[in-house]
Amino acid sequence: MIRSATGAPFQHSGNNISSLMLSVAFALLPGIFVSTWFFGFGILINIAVALVFALVAEALVLLLRRKDIAPQLSDGSALLSALLFAIAVPPGSPWWLLAIGIVFAIVVAKHLYGGLGQNPFNPAMCGYAMLLLAYPLEMTGWHVPSEAILGPLAVDGLGVPSAEPAREILNPLSLGAFKQSLLLAFPFAASNPSELGEFIDGLALATPLIEFKMAGQSALLAARESGNSLFARDSETAWELVNIAYLLGGLYLLFKRIISWHIPVAIIATVLGLSALFYSPGGAAVYGTPYLHLFGSATMIGAFFIATDPVSAATTRSGKIYYGIIIGVAIYSIRVWGSYLDSIAFAVLFGNFCAPLLDHYCRPRIFGHPTRTTTNREPAEP
Amino acid sequence: MSVYRQLATRLLGHDSLFVRRTFGGIHPPAFKQHSLRSRIMDTPIPAQLHIPLNTTQRESLSMLVAIGERVRKYQKLAEVSLGDDHGTSLPVHAPTSGVMRALALAPVADHESSEQLCLTLEADGRDEAIALRPEANAAIERLSGAEIQVRIRDAGILGMGGAGFPTAVKIESGNGFGVELLIINCAECEPYISADEALIRERAEHVVAGAELLRRACSARRLVIAIEDSKNDAIAALRQALESETVLETRCELIVIPAKYPAGSERQLIECLTGVEVPSAEYPTGSGILVQNCGTAHASYEAVVLGRPCISRITTLCGEALLTPKNFEVLLGSSIDFLFGLCGLKQADLSRSVLGGSLMGRELASTESVVCKTTNCLIAAGRGELPAAPAEQACIRCGFCADVCPARLLPQQLLAHCKTGDSIELIEHGLLDCIECGACDYICPSHIPLVSAFKDSKLSIDERQRDRQRSKYWQNRFQFRQYRIKKDKEQSLASRAEARKSSLEPIEQAASEAAADGAGGFSKEQASREIAAAVARVKARRGASSSDKDESK
Repeated sequence: MIRSATGAPFQHSGNNISSLMLSVAFALLPGIFVSTWFFGFGILINIAVALVFALVAEALVLLLRRKDIAPQLSDGSALLSALLFAIAVPPGSPWWLLAIGIVFAIVVAKHLYGGLGQNPFNPAMCGYAMLLLAYPLEMTGWHVPSEAILGPLAVDGLGVPSAEPAREILNPLSLGAFKQSLLLAFPFAASNPSELGEFIDGLALATPLIEFKMAGQSALLAARESGNSLFARDSETAWELVNIAYLLGGLYLLFKRIISWHIPVAIIATVLGLSALFYSPGGAAVYGTPYLHLFGSATMIGAFFIATDPVSAATTRSGKIYYGIIIGVAIYSIRVWGSYLDSIAFAVLFGNFCAPLLDHYCRPRIFGHPTRTTTNREPAEP
Repeated sequence: MSVYRQLATRLLGHDSLFVRRTFGGIHPPAFKQHSLRSRIMDTPIPAQLHIPLNTTQRESLSMLVAIGERVRKYQKLAEVSLGDDHGTSLPVHAPTSGVMRALALAPVADHESSEQLCLTLEADGRDEAIALRPEANAAIERLSGAEIQVRIRDAGILGMGGAGFPTAVKIESGNGFGVELLIINCAECEPYISADEALIRERAEHVVAGAELLRRACSARRLVIAIEDSKNDAIAALRQALESETVLETRCELIVIPAKYPAGSERQLIECLTGVEVPSAEYPTGSGILVQNCGTAHASYEAVVLGRPCISRITTLCGEALLTPKNFEVLLGSSIDFLFGLCGLKQADLSRSVLGGSLMGRELASTESVVCKTTNCLIAAGRGELPAAPAEQACIRCGFCADVCPARLLPQQLLAHCKTGDSIELIEHGLLDCIECGACDYICPSHIPLVSAFKDSKLSIDERQRDRQRSKYWQNRFQFRQYRIKKDKEQSLASRAEARKSSLEPIEQAASEAAADGAGGFSKEQASREIAAAVARVKARRGASSSDKDESK
């Protein structure tokens, strides 16, 4: 390639990759905060462990690939992958699970394909999916110290439903809950192995949607009628608020024009449409309400933060819409008819598969051309 | 017109909110306010001028003055042939009085070429001018389109916006198609450049009159002046000029368009104003539209009404390295050093000098370059003002570039194909429709020099196509040679056969004549007699030759 002597343009907007990545990370903060508020420190421990392993893995791979470490490490892409991965993995997961997942994400899913910008699949979701396939048991429980909320609320000593003293004592942000989370993440630190076994069973809690799917309508109704909340009202509220927090973060990204509206809107509209279509209140129950699909699971973070990863997503406008629809359909169908509990990771990876094809076929009509395909083809090589 | 539109017009003073939106574009900071702080100033006469001749070939020049000759201001110095089919030429005039000193190649601040043949004129400072013959208004009203066109040519006017296409030729090219609409482009969307805005602010009447003259020259039915909504003073001046109509009767419309880069790009401007997308491989004239720059309109006014040839232009001098950035009416051939000096150049601060705006400009190798008819802006960038791009990072396919591309291309995909050098895929993705506006570069978070990559790919595609044409040409030549050799051979064979045939011909003729003779009294006896005689002759000859052989033995 011959380099032209002129170097126009000389002016630049000041955009750069690390500020983009940091903005996305910033937009995740409300969601992380709300998650911590309700589910305790597990998510923060996840993030810390994933971050450390992500940065170390990135630095080592860059060293092996003989690249400049400082500029690429500071572009924030490894940080963002680690954040998204840590949020996806259940809180209370042991450290080695996180380490395996994030190292796989950074080394295999990202750098073996050529590093930033070259990976066809979302690294964080690759790591998550790999863990889900390899360690299904560890990946399906949502270990949160919400026992601390649930238990005493249900068996309040005097039978008075008073939230105030219960919160006071059993706040997930309390020191005790923090210790529990730490023990879960670093089981080797437990002085007494039985201490661990006790609360692992007790703390397993799935998302409301998963509970819904597992339980079925009749069980749910029976539980409601008997005065028990099968999937604790508090947990449901927490999921709502977490999703709303991620929605807010996503709206911030839209407002800052870091992401375009096409992918999130397409995903949310598709999930909403499908869940409304198949929802039958009197029917056989496994489908769940549209509201539950949007706010009772990881739909918002998936739609705004994971599917919008530009490297692995479709890049043209109409391509993004189709990409969102494909992911939306995949999310819904894997959730409802598939055998996996939540479906964002597989749905996004499936969307990644389709992205190059979408980019090829969904090109915009070029200015001054009557159709989408350019007509002035160069004569083929003889 | 809707109520909302009227309301907006009343509130904002224009209705650019309701003009059609074109795709893409960016809103970079414009940095025009500094150079617009003062009025347009005349420069003092520099001691020496290197008047660019818009060519590098001496053959295309026909000199009208000799080296060493004294010339006066406005005097025609040379005719430069454009090398087109019609044999069109453009004159060059003396910007001031003085003595012609040399004709040589010199660096020129032109967008297309960095060097041109220049005539060196040593100014005497007396500025003695040939008397101009201004036309009376009534006479101008009577001028035909062709006459206006001739005067525009005789004044040596080029497109002043930057492309530098000879205005008379452009008008001529429209005549074949029948121009419906003439657009006067006052958008000037690129950062830093404020020459057109300054010009309109101060001489709106002349611009409008020039626009009307251009309309008459190309006999367009409709005349539109398009200007960005950010140029309030210029809009007001144009409004006033249109209302007063002192110079020429005109039915010119003023359309205010939303400020955005590149709103002033010809095709984008046409789409914004009319909704017509000029087809990719065609010129706007094919759609019955002609676009001229407002500087061109002003120069046309001066040429036709005042009889003044194009010897100066308005050039913006700006940048942080200048103490007093401003717009100058610059004599063609003034050196950039001289102009920067007039604006108080802080030499220590100068990091680079750029011709044109910050997005499509060209870095000038030397400040000795001289101003030519297309030099619209000169930036003396201070330290850190237009910094070199930081190291390129990987493309993360964020698609910002596709969002801002006015041609609706996908620069991120094009870049991938540029790297593989797949020319078919590049053309399929519209590389040749790239207008090189630089919006993608501006927005790219990875600082990838996209436009440079596209320019290089265009060059290499060009190169490859030329290679292909060249090899096709030589292949044809070779095949023709083979064919010719083969044909020569056949021909020589045929001609030899012919020759043999023709040598036999007399005999045959004789035979046929004899036959014809004998036709009267042909007899078998005569024939047998002749045959017998022939046989006897042959035998006698054989006998003689054998006896010869015996003798030799």
